Amino acid sequence: MTTAGAIAEAVAVGVLPGRVWLYSNYHCNLACTYCLTDSAPGVPRRVLPADHMLALAEEARDLGFTALGVTGGEPFLVSNMAEVLARLAELLPVVVLSNGTLFRGRRLEWLRPLAGLPVKIQISLDHAEPEPNDAARGEGCHATVLSAITRLRELGIGVRVATTGDEATDADRERLCALHRELGIGDEDHVVRPVVRRGRAAEAGLGRAVGPSDLPPELTITADGAFWSPFGPTVQGGRLDTDLLLTRTTLPLATPAGALLRLVEGRPRGADAGMGIR
Amino acid sequence: MFCAMANVRLVDADQAPLLARPYYERGDPGPIVAALAQVPEVLEACLPFLGVVYGRSAVPARRKELVALRTSALLRCRYCVEAHTVVALDAGVSPAEVRALLGLEPTEAVFADPAELTLLAWVDAVAGGVGPVDPSLRAGLAGHFDDYEVVELTLLAGATLMLNRFCTALELPTSPETLRRLAAAGVAGAVR
Repeated sequence: MTTAGAIAEAVAVGVLPGRVWLYSNYHCNLACTYCLTDSAPGVPRRVLPADHMLALAEEARDLGFTALGVTGGEPFLVSNMAEVLARLAELLPVVVLSNGTLFRGRRLEWLRPLAGLPVKIQISLDHAEPEPNDAARGEGCHATVLSAITRLRELGIGVRVATTGDEATDADRERLCALHRELGIGDEDHVVRPVVRRGRAAEAGLGRAVGPSDLPPELTITADGAFWSPFGPTVQGGRLDTDLLLTRTTLPLATPAGALLRLVEGRPRGADAGMGIR
Repeated sequence: MFCAMANVRLVDADQAPLLARPYYERGDPGPIVAALAQVPEVLEACLPFLGVVYGRSAVPARRKELVALRTSALLRCRYCVEAHTVVALDAGVSPAEVRALLGLEPTEAVFADPAELTLLAWVDAVAGGVGPVDPSLRAGLAGHFDDYEVVELTLLAGATLMLNRFCTALELPTSPETLRRLAAAGVAGAVR
């Protein structure tokens, strides 16, 4: 069997997850305390060019992958991101992660063409109340995000909510879930994930330490190479971590996908389920 | 690991990429691996190749080290000369022969085996020259070596040339253990 055939079969039977992640950029208008990529306004941008993203998406589809994820940094700081997302969505369904603080005025209008496309914007919202949310994410984020979710839904754009941190009490979680339901976001579109002790979180002593056995092998492409997981290409003290690096080659995508498959085949199915990082 | 001499970052064990990890399992993998680990897919292809070229094979280890050390001396690769001197001594090359391979003595004055002298002339032409290799040297080899040995030893010279330039350009540091062995053998001054 060819490498491409083996990858397609591995995705089809669930040995490899179906989603390929693309790190569009590393800079961000926020500087969250637990950020994996040490993102902030002034950091090196590490931009994955649009034509590279499209070539990766096309090959991902041809290899049998079934979905794309776009993350950063804040992807919507890349000026043509809405157009890129629309073109990616012609190839595979897309979820794009965002802090949700930029969707006003002209930037909101730019997103209008995404209405009705298989694109969902996954927006970070950690708490039902502004104070604890904004302590980690930045002053005013909570109110801005709630407004953005409403506006995006009014435009007909799919929205998910992501909560980072799994230390909340049942009562905290219930208030947060009541809020996202009130905003029209169902439970199936609410993702909860732990703080991972990498990047800025590691410098602050936050979160859980993880290794490859804790993380699903989700092929992740950045300007610096291909990684085991979107939790892999982290930055600490300005230096990119390479412990979860697969290959520096990203095109052809079959090169890192083949390397990922060889590594996965060396471990038992389900071995990544321990910490629920999915 | 090593003192900070290299002009690229040498990857430590805690940052070793997934494909590179097997090379770190028995401790410090050395600076060539630690540099190649920056590009795991290249490391993964190179190391098996280098292992076959430099490892035990049908050609005696002594003869392989004559080629590697002579080539490294011609290319003036400090790292490779120091590393291969230790390996050459382990393979039965004498300190006097090391000095001759380094060009400090005439090889004819130290080596008695006509096959080895012919091999060294071949290496000098292959590694030290440009353009076609004098056919008479190839003809001379035929009296001492089978074709498969010529192929393997010539490839060894070529692989060494590649590593010479790689290690020199990146200024890879010699390990303290190698430097200690060179001093103990009394050849530290000769190879520096």
